Amino acid sequence: MDFQLSDDHRMLQDSLRGILTRHTGEGLWPALAEAGVIAALLTEDEGGFDGSGAAVALIFQELGRAGAALPLIPTMIAGAALAQAGHEVPEGTVLAFADAEPGTRYDRGVAIRADGDSLTGRKTMVAGAEDAAAILVTTADALWLVQPGAPGLTLRGYPMMDGQRGADLILEATPATRLGALSDFGRPLARGVLAHSAHALGTITAAVDLTLDYLKQRKQFGQPLISFQALAHRAADLAVEVEQARSAVVNLSGHLTADASLRDRHLQACKVTLGRVARLVAEESVQLHGGIGMTEEYALAGMVRRLMTADTAMGDADWHLDRFARGEPAWA
Amino acid sequence: MDMRFTPDELAFRDQVRAFLQTELDPELARKVRLHQHLTKDDMEGWHAKLHARGWLAGNWPTEFGGAGWTAIQRHIFEEESALAHAPRIVPFGIAMLGPVLQKFGSREQQDHWLPRILNGDDWWCQGYSEPGAGSDLAGLRCRAERQGDHYVVNGQKTWTTLGQYANMIFCLVRTSTEGKKQEGISFLLIDMTTPGVTVRPIVLLDGTAEVNEVFFDDVRVPAENLVGEENQGWTYAKYLLTHERTNIAGVGFATAALDNLHRVARAQIHRGRPLAEDPVFASEIAAVEIELMAMSTTNLRMLSAAAQGQAPGIESSMLKIKGTQIRQRLDALTRRAYGGHALALPATGNEGQPQDADEVLAATATWLNNRKLSIYGGSNEIQRGIIAGALAKG
Repeated sequence: MDFQLSDDHRMLQDSLRGILTRHTGEGLWPALAEAGVIAALLTEDEGGFDGSGAAVALIFQELGRAGAALPLIPTMIAGAALAQAGHEVPEGTVLAFADAEPGTRYDRGVAIRADGDSLTGRKTMVAGAEDAAAILVTTADALWLVQPGAPGLTLRGYPMMDGQRGADLILEATPATRLGALSDFGRPLARGVLAHSAHALGTITAAVDLTLDYLKQRKQFGQPLISFQALAHRAADLAVEVEQARSAVVNLSGHLTADASLRDRHLQACKVTLGRVARLVAEESVQLHGGIGMTEEYALAGMVRRLMTADTAMGDADWHLDRFARGEPAWA
Repeated sequence: MDMRFTPDELAFRDQVRAFLQTELDPELARKVRLHQHLTKDDMEGWHAKLHARGWLAGNWPTEFGGAGWTAIQRHIFEEESALAHAPRIVPFGIAMLGPVLQKFGSREQQDHWLPRILNGDDWWCQGYSEPGAGSDLAGLRCRAERQGDHYVVNGQKTWTTLGQYANMIFCLVRTSTEGKKQEGISFLLIDMTTPGVTVRPIVLLDGTAEVNEVFFDDVRVPAENLVGEENQGWTYAKYLLTHERTNIAGVGFATAALDNLHRVARAQIHRGRPLAEDPVFASEIAAVEIELMAMSTTNLRMLSAAAQGQAPGIESSMLKIKGTQIRQRLDALTRRAYGGHALALPATGNEGQPQDADEVLAATATWLNNRKLSIYGGSNEIQRGIIAGALAKG
């Protein structure tokens, strides 16, 4: 039993923290690529050099803590899936993963259908699609590759809650390459859930730290807010839930390469826990701050929006809880 | 990162399982599983078997006759014991007093009292809470006055678990009223057969009388029964509380309760199908199971950090809160799973009980009795105060 970071991962963490203090915005992606952080998300077979659960968890926790909004998760999922399907993985560039459909919550293949080697229908909330060198698209039971300039493909871009840009995809008999059955890609998808969860954990810790700082420093009735028991106990409950969230991420990262059934149970438990705790922290941190917590100017605003996206991506807590309760695998 | 047990730890787990398999009487395990009354003989018999194997005091160093287990080994033992429905080791001598004597007791006290804990000569109970000093423990008033080579004790203790079986009680007593209230407390060992000691049972809402009031009326206690220094008892009391931490999460108990809940939900019929297939109920079970999966790893992370020498902080408070929340949720779901069958009063004597209802009654008894989990050992609100206090400083 050892929960410590390895020496390699400690170095990776140090270098990543350095980059995140020096770079923001447009310069961040190239800096991460140059430092090997992006390659660390993929295994050697996939053209990277790590790809372990521990590496994925630590990288996305740091990115979440720093508030970085990059389409790295779809890039990682798509990169791993392309490599697994024997396709070349475009290097140093954004890849997109089109999963959600309008009006169907988390059911796939309702708003989109495959017809031979082409896809017709809609996908939505596709992060990074406008810049992507390749777009992976899910249908009811399969995973497809669509080229960005493919005929019949229209993109409509917009800002997303977490600071990234997303897009709607409208496909009209758009040529696509079937990469395989969705169930064959359990591992890349699990890594995606781990990344979303670890990113949320990073954001959770940042939001809780900010809230605690505020409770200690802000005075009302002549006393710091943390000295009021009603607030102190809520802060204590948050601290307990943060540890639950951390453990759920540890569990999934430690079981990423386990048998599919065990891995999926930890995946579902992780997504349920992170979704629940992220929502709790978003709501409680605003309430514990009071009015200032609602202002756009204050750092909490962006954290709250990112926390709310954490639950929503790749199946929310309700969706995964239901499948966990039924003993179903993570993906159909 | 590696979430697996080491080969040594796995071998140890096999030894524990084999021991439980051969030594634990199935009838005794049945009583534990069904939350039925354990006699003093039941508990002492189990202690004796563990002592014969050298496993009664896993937390004690070998120099004092303990097993000298690591935190992970203790965790394995506690989890396997809970899953096998072994009686829990009565904590007062082994888990509480032993470590205090080893740290603060005199050589004479160690030589005299520690072997008697192991071989069962003494049954200890704990004299901490008083009617006016519960969560505010340092407000205690039970008074010990030095008169020559004796202390004379007057006052009352309460919530004394299994005090009816005990011949010895370790007490926090007030030896000074000067300065801060924490500074006038001493740690005294009292023979309960001394004239002036009266034990009176308190019947709880589950019908059992596992706790007692203990009254002291001019009780003369030899001065050599003072542990450490006079007026330093609060330090020892806090040490005792931190030392009792490994099993505070109760992962083994919660896992056993979850297994039982799954079994009950599969057996109970709801709308013509097993209750376990009802999506509303199943998702409630799933939610608490997911909490337990995370808490179990939180527990291991904290044990592992402690094993690597990190000073214990607020972890035990966190585990206390989450562990008791999970167990109380499991208890509530288990009783709910029985629906309209869970109306009878758990057995209090020979007044009869419904047919084939041992397990239903156990569910009710467990729900009632485990209200204590979030109250004892520092209520969950006290734990939140401790956590918040640390957060405010950090």
